[in-house]
Amino acid sequence: MSFARVRAVAGKELTVLWSSPVPYVVGALFQAVLAALFVDQLHAREQAVVQPLFPLAGFLLLLTVPIITMRSFAEEARTGTLDLLQAAPVPPSPLVAGKWLAGWLTTLAMLLPTGVLVVIVRWLGHPDRGPVIAGYVGLALLAATLTGVGVLASSLTSSQPVAAMVAVFGLLLLWFSNIGSGTLNAGDVLAHFSLSERLRSFAGGAIDTSDVGFLVAAVVVTLAVTALVVDSRRLR
Amino acid sequence: MISATALTRRFGGREVVRDVSFSVAPGEVVGFLGPNGAGKTTTMRMLLGLLRPSGGEGRIDGRVGYLPEAFTAYDAVSVRSYLRFMCRMKGVSIGDVDRAMELAGVGKLGRRPFGRLSKGQRQRVGLAQALLGRPGAYVLDEATIGLDPRQVVDARGLIRSLADDDRAAVLVSTHLLAEASAVCDRVVVIAAGRVVAEERPGAAGDLEARFLRLVGEAELT
Ligand SMILES: Nc1ncnc2c1ncn2[C@@H]1O[C@H](COP(=O)(O)OP(=O)(O)O)[C@@H](O)[C@H]1O
Ligand SMILES: [Mg+2]
Repeated sequence: MSFARVRAVAGKELTVLWSSPVPYVVGALFQAVLAALFVDQLHAREQAVVQPLFPLAGFLLLLTVPIITMRSFAEEARTGTLDLLQAAPVPPSPLVAGKWLAGWLTTLAMLLPTGVLVVIVRWLGHPDRGPVIAGYVGLALLAATLTGVGVLASSLTSSQPVAAMVAVFGLLLLWFSNIGSGTLNAGDVLAHFSLSERLRSFAGGAIDTSDVGFLVAAVVVTLAVTALVVDSRRLR
Repeated sequence: MISATALTRRFGGREVVRDVSFSVAPGEVVGFLGPNGAGKTTTMRMLLGLLRPSGGEGRIDGRVGYLPEAFTAYDAVSVRSYLRFMCRMKGVSIGDVDRAMELAGVGKLGRRPFGRLSKGQRQRVGLAQALLGRPGAYVLDEATIGLDPRQVVDARGLIRSLADDDRAAVLVSTHLLAEASAVCDRVVVIAAGRVVAEERPGAAGDLEARFLRLVGEAELT
């Protein structure tokens, strides 16, 4: 896979995405809702801590990343620009990798302003640096996984709203898949896939190789499946 | 070289293209002529590997320049950036962008976002995109749609030169008879999914009479 092609696809995606209102609107809503929920948590705890930021931001990403990624394949399939790329011919892997990269970078850009909340907390109290760094590493990796799922959902349909809904639903299932762990026989296995559990472990200050491995593997698997979907939808 | 061998395609049991065979040699412009819904676009998409044939085989040797029926690019991306992007996708030198823009008549539109172009300008960007990297074969689906009479004449000259100067194999679909007789060495007439004639176009008037008779016959059977 040529990296030049991946970079060209990612660059085109970033131009298309950032010249639409989507990242600005979604980003502003994300910051506003996150700040409100976070301040509420600080009040409830009467303590200047950063920890509650991570699960809140992670959960909000489940709803925002699918909006960032929904157009990636769905819109190109709808308008027919995907045909031109496939007739070029571009194999699916650089398309998938480029679109994923653009979505991930956009999501990371959306996480950047949350640093302001951390600065405020540091000014009010003395939070440990370690868990904050680990929490952000966790969020960045979580964003990578969510973007993978979002791009996969977008490859399944040529309707952007359908792509977003499929991704949100799938991500909510993954996020809450630890809920049954006490009651179901298969619960422990499901908990293994829970995104909220993975993020919790990062936010606790531990960068565990098994958590990193899980999230990275999830990216690789979703992108590989996306490539298969894109290729099979070409030859219908 | 472009070749279709017994290409067949069904959509939900309905046979839309049936046993279509023809070939286009290097240096030749072949018109793919037929009424709307005859199966031209479906056949072309099978040749390009964008649609799986239900039967038969389509082949194109080497790189191909493709102009789809409803060409569109990315509204926010400028013409020049788009063409550079397509060069990277095709794996050809971006040094070819200026030549393609000149030939297609969009030399002055480089900085304009695609979304702000007129219909005819968009179509010419589509042509420019097909020209990138001087492919040995072209599949042009309704190449002159949306162009004004002056631009139609220019586009014909361009299509002719692809075969005459670059020795490319050019397949161009159209439902316009004058179009076919003006540029093609040969026409393949398709009606109701089947090839009903393959011949030299001759004068436009003759072609029109023959075309109407062939299409009429195909639709009766
Ligand atoms: N994806 C599809 N599903 C079902 N029918 C289709 C599809 N694509 C084309 N057709 C049908 O196949 C026939 C031929 O279409 P097309 O190849 O686009 O014709 P032309 O390009 O000659 O105008 C038409 O009747 C059209 O409705
Ligand atoms: Mg057509």
